[in-house]
Amino acid sequence: MTSIEAIGSRSRISATAAVRAYLVVCGIVLLLMMLLGLTMRLAQAQWIDVEPNLFYVIMTMHGAGMVGIAGLGGAAVMWHFVRRYIPVSTGIFIANLVFFLIGAVLILGAGFIGGFAGAWTFLYPLPDHSGGLWSANGAAAYMAGLLVIGVGFLLLHLDIARGIISVYGGLGSGLGVKQAFGFAPEKDGPPPAVAASTMAAISNIIGIVVGAVVLVLSLVNLYVPSFTFNTLVAKNLIYYFGHTFINVTIYMAVIAVYEILPVYTHRAWKTNRAFYLAWVLSTLMVLTVYPHHLLMDFAMPTWILVAGQIISWLSGLPVLLVTAFGTLTNVYRSGLKWDAAAGLVFIGVAGWAIGVIPAIADGTIPVNSVMHNTQWVPGHFHTYLLLGMMAMMLGFMTYLAGPKSPSRLAPLGVWLYLIGGTIFVLAFLAAGSASVPRRYAVHLPAWLPYDRAGSIGASLVVAGALILIVRFLVSLRSPIDATP
Amino acid sequence: MIQDVVWDISIALMGSLAAVFAGVAAGAEVPLTNYGPAIASAYRLRIWLFALAIVVLVGVNYRALGALPYIANPAEQSGLAMKRADATGQQWSWTVQPNSFVVGQTVEFYVTSKDVNHGFGLYDPHMHLVAQTQAMPGFTNVLRYTFAQPGTYQVLCLEYCGLGHHIMNTQINVAAR
Repeated sequence: MTSIEAIGSRSRISATAAVRAYLVVCGIVLLLMMLLGLTMRLAQAQWIDVEPNLFYVIMTMHGAGMVGIAGLGGAAVMWHFVRRYIPVSTGIFIANLVFFLIGAVLILGAGFIGGFAGAWTFLYPLPDHSGGLWSANGAAAYMAGLLVIGVGFLLLHLDIARGIISVYGGLGSGLGVKQAFGFAPEKDGPPPAVAASTMAAISNIIGIVVGAVVLVLSLVNLYVPSFTFNTLVAKNLIYYFGHTFINVTIYMAVIAVYEILPVYTHRAWKTNRAFYLAWVLSTLMVLTVYPHHLLMDFAMPTWILVAGQIISWLSGLPVLLVTAFGTLTNVYRSGLKWDAAAGLVFIGVAGWAIGVIPAIADGTIPVNSVMHNTQWVPGHFHTYLLLGMMAMMLGFMTYLAGPKSPSRLAPLGVWLYLIGGTIFVLAFLAAGSASVPRRYAVHLPAWLPYDRAGSIGASLVVAGALILIVRFLVSLRSPIDATP
Repeated sequence: MIQDVVWDISIALMGSLAAVFAGVAAGAEVPLTNYGPAIASAYRLRIWLFALAIVVLVGVNYRALGALPYIANPAEQSGLAMKRADATGQQWSWTVQPNSFVVGQTVEFYVTSKDVNHGFGLYDPHMHLVAQTQAMPGFTNVLRYTFAQPGTYQVLCLEYCGLGHHIMNTQINVAAR
């Protein structure tokens, strides 16, 4: 028995229970946040009445909540699988969940009690300019909540980085840098879960620290308005943190694909030089691609914006030519028997890869000039987050629920999720191409058909997610040992 | 319209990719006995796909980077004859002076904000977004645009700025020659 296995044996029950606790929180919060999203689409469709001030509170909570549980869900997937290869602390894993819940209470209080509606991106100096909608304390509670959540994730990634270094000798080895550049045999490279976890640790440790800097600066500005700082620098810091954090959620969740699909296809995931090179390049690009959020900030140095466009295009290659291609070759005529779990992780890769296309389009400067901050943007990010990342997480959840739980409704849940999600994202993309702005509480009559199609799609998604999540919650009645 | 081209290409590529995933999923339950040659040809295909992707990437980026909206030298510095308009955002209204132009006139909008981040989004008379830049406190972004048709253009806010974000708009009148 290796030391890693020994650690795993000692903490197996509590570790599995901890992963279940993560997924319970993810499932419940995901449903609540989906209902908030549906509420916004119904309000824009003028099928229900929602006052603009409440709409923007809901929008802020939806954004923060979804980003938060994307992180939490990705962390659950990553931690569940990576602990097969490295020693990790269950205590720190649980601490991250506790930090998350404390932060979530602060954020929900900031929104629904304090009225904070500064959008999840808290773009400085908006938190201090509420127009009477929220108090400084409300804004502070929101930002303190983000800070607390960030502390939890920082601890988790540091612990995983420690585990990787203890086994592989360094983060470069954990990422497979030597294999990527031909300095070591491919067969000696780290397993996919370790490479992905290394990438997540490197990216998020840097991103969270950057986010903490701008959050603290903004907090000081709230209570000492005479303390101001450069709005463009603040925007850079916020998008650096925000882009990195949400992007990494996908790279954590994709571990579910690497680990679950081979169980069905009976084909090991092929880790060759291209695979490691893709992860090395993805790490570099996740850390440098954020300027594509600032393409309409003409005050930025032009070379940074040009780099942002080029890196946006390049960052699509590893996704399409390595992960999507690897998934297709792994599944191709493998003889697997489809079920809800396999279907969801497969859909997750498809959603991620397909979402890359409209994202790259938006990262092209002349296109961005006429599509930035239209509904094209939620269109593309919901494609790779709702149909991509979240589908992977729901697939993981369904996989953990195991075959013993009631599964007759699960395929229905998957189809509702897929069909509804497709309608939902296409409605956003079509509206974006028709120049409908994003983040508007009230829409013009000409925009209503898009909103109504989107509302129908969102309703189906909620129904599908409800089935899958309830199935998971019901499965919790079975003993922990029954789970995969 | 750029948006129409982007929509058409995106939907075609997204649909093609979805079809590939659907095709592989549909045939997955029928096992292939001799997987080796199939995987070998798939990896050869990937090399060609990589080459194609690089060609498209270089070609599109070369073209796109030749049409940047950033103004290195505004007319006032370079001596060009262009109309200047000052556009200032403030929760939740725009001030654009002057706000009347004629078709064919090239205007440089000097865009800034007095309070928070706003987005200066210029919509044509058919409510198509034709140009935009961010309006930021402490910075002035110069947006150059040539009016192509007569009518009432609208300036909408395209960066979330609080409760009145959706009502923050103003009109620009463009007369025929």
